[in-house]
Amino acid sequence: MNWNSKDLDTYFQQKEYIDTLLVPLLKIDTTPEQLKASTSSTEFLMHLSNFIETQFKGRMMVMPPFTYTQSTSLNEMGEVLQKDLQQLEFKHIFYLTTDREWTDVETYGEMIWIPSIPLESMDKQLRQTIIEDQLRQVLPTLTKKWTGE
Amino acid sequence: MSKNRVSRRQFLSYTIMGVGGFMASGTIMPMLRFAVDPVLQKEGEGDFTATPQKVDELTETPVRVDYTIVDREDGWYKSDESYSAWVYKEGDKVIALSPVCKHLGCTVNWGGDKNHPDQFFCPCHDGRYYKNGDNVKGTPPIGPLDEYLVMEKDGYVYLGGTTPNTLV
Repeated sequence: MNWNSKDLDTYFQQKEYIDTLLVPLLKIDTTPEQLKASTSSTEFLMHLSNFIETQFKGRMMVMPPFTYTQSTSLNEMGEVLQKDLQQLEFKHIFYLTTDREWTDVETYGEMIWIPSIPLESMDKQLRQTIIEDQLRQVLPTLTKKWTGE
Repeated sequence: MSKNRVSRRQFLSYTIMGVGGFMASGTIMPMLRFAVDPVLQKEGEGDFTATPQKVDELTETPVRVDYTIVDREDGWYKSDESYSAWVYKEGDKVIALSPVCKHLGCTVNWGGDKNHPDQFFCPCHDGRYYKNGDNVKGTPPIGPLDEYLVMEKDGYVYLGGTTPNTLV
């Protein structure tokens, strides 16, 4: 499910089945030498979260990415997210990010950190394969949570 | 002077008839054209899209075939859209099933469940389907997987739109 009103209606009807929230955390780095890397990881994260959405449409609500710049205090942001996202009635919350710093921050839910891969120079076929490989990396984390309880 | 001189009156009436006729045909011709349009339509291939899958490489085990519809137009917005299908052969017939789970729309995989290697499996809520797309009773899906219209051309598989499953 995407975060739009049509999918939200489905969510209300099928609440028992859609029990997982995926929150992409997206870092925009505005320092000149990081711009290129920042756009590249944005693309990667967006591709990956879209792909996860099509694969797990019926169980996952994928939020629009939460975007922040490099000076944002992650501890503070994590605290706010923790407080607010808990109000949603999702059994599982996953965060998806390419920003390593999140691994040190305590959040409510599971943090999935995946290093960014520059997709822009690849052709479509290869890009698809890479994204699928990355999903395979993420999959155990998801299924472990899903079957663990 | 010839005998059949055209009088001024005749000349004018011919001219008016000519111009009037021309104008009338301007409105009537398109109407006729629209009325018989279905007959003039060329026998096309419809909306079939080429896939990279060769027909003779197919076996009885479903394989995933990815294909892209290039320049799909949605209003003024043009985009390439990627689709997948599970394709296999049954006898000489090529069968292509949609990977979209009938429960809530996740993507199903062939043999995704270790305990049921010859069934389609939906990872979201453990939905299962038999090879012909029929949903396994007792799992969440409420209907069989959709089928793609299939065409073979130059040794490759071409896929069209989805239809309700005809194999079940």
